[in-house]
Amino acid sequence: MNEKERPKSAALSIALMSVLTAVVVVFTIFPRIPTPIHGYINLSDVIITFSAYLFGPWVAAVAGGLGTGLADIIGGFPQWAPFSFLIHGLQGIMIALIARIGLKKGVPGDAKIYMQILGGVVGMVIMAGGYYVVGGFLYGFRAALVEIPLNLIQSGVGVILGIVVSKSVLKAYPAVRSLAL
Amino acid sequence: MNTNTYIVGRGFLYWLDARAKLLLIVLLSVMVFFPSHYLALSLLFLLIFIIVWYSVGFKQSLRPLRSLLFIIVVMALFIPLTQRGGEPLWAVKGTVLVTREGVAHFATLALRLLIVTYSCTLYIWSTPMAAINLALRWYGLSYKGALTVTLAFRFIPFIGETFVMIRDSHSLRSASDSSQKERLRLGDLVPTVTSALVFALKAIPHLATTLEHRGFGSTLKRSSYKRLEAKGGLFIHFLLSVIILLATFVLLNSI
Repeated sequence: MNEKERPKSAALSIALMSVLTAVVVVFTIFPRIPTPIHGYINLSDVIITFSAYLFGPWVAAVAGGLGTGLADIIGGFPQWAPFSFLIHGLQGIMIALIARIGLKKGVPGDAKIYMQILGGVVGMVIMAGGYYVVGGFLYGFRAALVEIPLNLIQSGVGVILGIVVSKSVLKAYPAVRSLAL
Repeated sequence: MNTNTYIVGRGFLYWLDARAKLLLIVLLSVMVFFPSHYLALSLLFLLIFIIVWYSVGFKQSLRPLRSLLFIIVVMALFIPLTQRGGEPLWAVKGTVLVTREGVAHFATLALRLLIVTYSCTLYIWSTPMAAINLALRWYGLSYKGALTVTLAFRFIPFIGETFVMIRDSHSLRSASDSSQKERLRLGDLVPTVTSALVFALKAIPHLATTLEHRGFGSTLKRSSYKRLEAKGGLFIHFLLSVIILLATFVLLNSI
């Protein structure tokens, strides 16, 4: 398989999306970072941001949406699964699309740092706003306000760590560029 | 890492076909958002809770309630206090704190949340994941989509175990108290996540090659070895789902 043929490989795209979906599920369920308001945040946003910066919008959308949806099902919150699929899917698309504005060559992670941060901030707004709207319908807009700070912290940590982790993965495993579709 | 959500149980919902059950759950979840009295919603929730209790046992049937307890407490604190128009129920020194309308609004929202949660939970408890995947295929999910889900489930335990090993290796490198063992310490975060990601990414070319060796990407139509069997005919299962939905509609509009 040479570099020109690779983007056409359906097998590679399925493998990429499956493995990254599994990574999102694991990082949503396993790592727990305690927060000051007696709760935990997960690292799903780190992997969504990482996927967006290294593999572009569609991989980030599938891995982020499907991964968080499956994590909701496995974790015992199946009522959130369709909404997580849509919210995190859109988050992944927007982070990648904004980060690669003006980028002529390479992956979105090669873009200027302020564009990556801008993409991440838009992703944060989509994530916190999306869950607020859905939470508003499910348990009232006033009660749903409680979740906004926690969601902003989680996605903010996700953006910062996503940028750092994508740089460190590029350094530790340069062959990852050849997997980018 | 256990990814299985199916729980061995008994009852009508275990017999009902996964496709008909999916339609039932989705439409039921939509139906509870139509305007209806909280007493009707209470009756519907009670009925669903009894079905869950009968299907999986009392202890298991309390699990979704426990996961929702925090948000229901938040709703109980916020909604009646912020919605103070209407007939007063509790007033302190002339200031109305709780009204009948506020309590009714809280009850409606909490019951909707409980009904949707219990319905969705009962679906994944009473249907094996392979049957859910096949049901979604029947409703139009592409072969590639279903394959991605199946492969993701195959890789979740593998990546989960790898992550735990890497996390434990990092925690052994520095002295830490046992209470922090299960949590990921901030200092170890980036190296742990990077190591786990690199390990997972290295599996991608192997998986892609395996898929190609097995003929993935071929223009020939794929063989399918698994299909859902509806005992008594699929029509009967859908008919029963529609009857249940109509009965629910009548219940929600009769009070």
